[in-house]
Amino acid sequence: MNLYEYEAKRIFAEAGINVPPSARITKPEELTKVHLGFPLVLKCQVLSGGRGKAGGIKFPKNLTEAKEIAKTLLDMTIGGSKTQCLLVEPAMDIARELYLGITLDRDRGCPIFIASAEGGIEIESSENVLTEPIPMPYHPYVGRNLAKKLGLKGSDLTQVADIANKLYKLFESKDLDLAEINPLIITKGGDVVALDGKVIVNDDSIGRQPYFKGWQEAHLQDLSVRERRAKMADLNLVELEGNIGILCNGAGLTMATMDMVKAFGGDPGNFLDAGGGSDQKKTLAALELVNENPRVDVILLNILGGITACDEVAGALVDFMKKYPERQMIVRLRGNNQDKAEKMLASSGLKLYPDIEEAVKEAVARSKNSSKKPVGAKV
Amino acid sequence: MILVDKKTKVVVQGATGKMGSAHAKRMLDYGTNVVAGVTPGKGGETIHGSIPIFDTVAEAVEKTGATCSCIFVPPYLALDAGYEALDAGIELLVLITEGIPPLDTAKLVAAVKAKGAKLIGPNCPGIITPGQSLIGILPGQIFKSGPVGMVSKSGTLTYEIALALTESGHGQSTCVGVGGDPVKGLDYQEVLMMFEKDPATEVMVMIGEIGGSAEEEAAAFIKKNIKKPVIGYIAGQTAPPGKRMGHAGAIISGGKGTAASKLEAFKANGVLVAMTPNEVAKQVAVALKQPAKA
Repeated sequence: MNLYEYEAKRIFAEAGINVPPSARITKPEELTKVHLGFPLVLKCQVLSGGRGKAGGIKFPKNLTEAKEIAKTLLDMTIGGSKTQCLLVEPAMDIARELYLGITLDRDRGCPIFIASAEGGIEIESSENVLTEPIPMPYHPYVGRNLAKKLGLKGSDLTQVADIANKLYKLFESKDLDLAEINPLIITKGGDVVALDGKVIVNDDSIGRQPYFKGWQEAHLQDLSVRERRAKMADLNLVELEGNIGILCNGAGLTMATMDMVKAFGGDPGNFLDAGGGSDQKKTLAALELVNENPRVDVILLNILGGITACDEVAGALVDFMKKYPERQMIVRLRGNNQDKAEKMLASSGLKLYPDIEEAVKEAVARSKNSSKKPVGAKV
Repeated sequence: MILVDKKTKVVVQGATGKMGSAHAKRMLDYGTNVVAGVTPGKGGETIHGSIPIFDTVAEAVEKTGATCSCIFVPPYLALDAGYEALDAGIELLVLITEGIPPLDTAKLVAAVKAKGAKLIGPNCPGIITPGQSLIGILPGQIFKSGPVGMVSKSGTLTYEIALALTESGHGQSTCVGVGGDPVKGLDYQEVLMMFEKDPATEVMVMIGEIGGSAEEEAAAFIKKNIKKPVIGYIAGQTAPPGKRMGHAGAIISGGKGTAASKLEAFKANGVLVAMTPNEVAKQVAVALKQPAKA
């Protein structure tokens, strides 16, 4: 779950990391009540990246200018993410900019600090980047070592070390995938302040983080309506441009099925991984989600039951076909409880394809001949 | 065969839960030596006619001599269950649970290494040595004994490819599902090296997917250390960038982790590439006919 900048900064402040004083506005008139002096910084609050380049950050010099700019910024959509509100802060006196981030390194299997003595940069394309594995359990000397390696001295060193330690505490206690301060500034007065922040909360951990309870739905704005519904139903849906709806159990099999559809000349309309152990109800919900995509002409269901029982899937199919008897459906169903499933489907008129390639080829052939009038789709 | 055989004594953690109980039964029916189950508060009960339930793993190990634990507990309890197994002296942990917070997994992986134990998973289907032992959730009927060693990030895709192998007459020595999470226990290299040393394995199949760089690193490792033929398959050749494709680890980010990069690494390092599951079986047939490399 991606957080807005103002949410990230609120969490930083609660952890004892300095952030600039600020206000939030959703209407230009609200600026009259903001007393932060001039020049001000107005920043679009969006969930996407590339905000600076897109013109989502401005520095008005007086109230009149600020109101005009605020009007434009509040209407902006950046990278598909609509501006939720504006964060208003006083412009800071910057002496130096740094970069500080923490993420989980999948290759090392542990969290790492990513830091740079140059801030405000795109960290992926910068050369002067330090990566430091973080030991578990954590000790505060790690922050001091990091600040030292960045070439800092005196009060800069101790302040940055302190922030690094607080940021790690936050990363671990709130189950984050990413905690990033970019830039972390040193002001002309010698204070170290988080000027911008990006926080991603680990999706699998939200359930044990009471702090984020109920946040999820408001932070899925970059997803389609169906993708959002899938996420709330614990299904993995990614919508694509083609007309073959794909539903499988397991990420690898779903991707492999998608690849085969493409390799045999078809066009996948979605990736839907129903996950392991889906029962009849969840499988039916998954079928409905694929069915409702207006681009989908043919549904290809490929299930290899391990933790998923084939008879549960068959039950969902029986219900689904009763509701949408004209839906073009290619079914491949094998694995645990396959015999039971076959019996349940014997009277449904559905042909079961034992081989994956045969099933894919048939789905592709049908997708080419379809009437282009999807059955049961909500347009 | 590697890691498990018919003698491997297995304890099931979370044995009386819905999934744990159903799969304990499947394992037992397959012939796996399931000697115990653990559910706190249910010690003294028996499930499926022959599996005694204990309150703690320590007691289960003491009474039955189990060396392997198959863990089915819910995600937020998995770290504790893992620590419990390790401290009870379990040597091989098979962690099936999906959705474990990655920092918990990182802590468990560090503890497993410190103890010199082995962890398969999390978010994995488990391990099978066909005809001997099935530990996890794999559908036993699609596997058969033979010379192919398999290692995979995916569950159901492993079944797909095992099925293609079995139906074309090529059985498997052992299949290991290492799991689709970004942080995990055993990795490709460790499993491939075990297959290299295993006399029953003649050919290896490595199943990868988009995300991370484990496949690229394994490819370089294979060139240096593996003499037996390896067939590689990558899922997600048509996956759009920036989208998490089901598995927590399956995402192309910042242009990294693409199928193209992994396939290229395979080709550059002498790994035979298959583009579809059925093609894996064809490549295996070819590799089995070739004389072994010196």
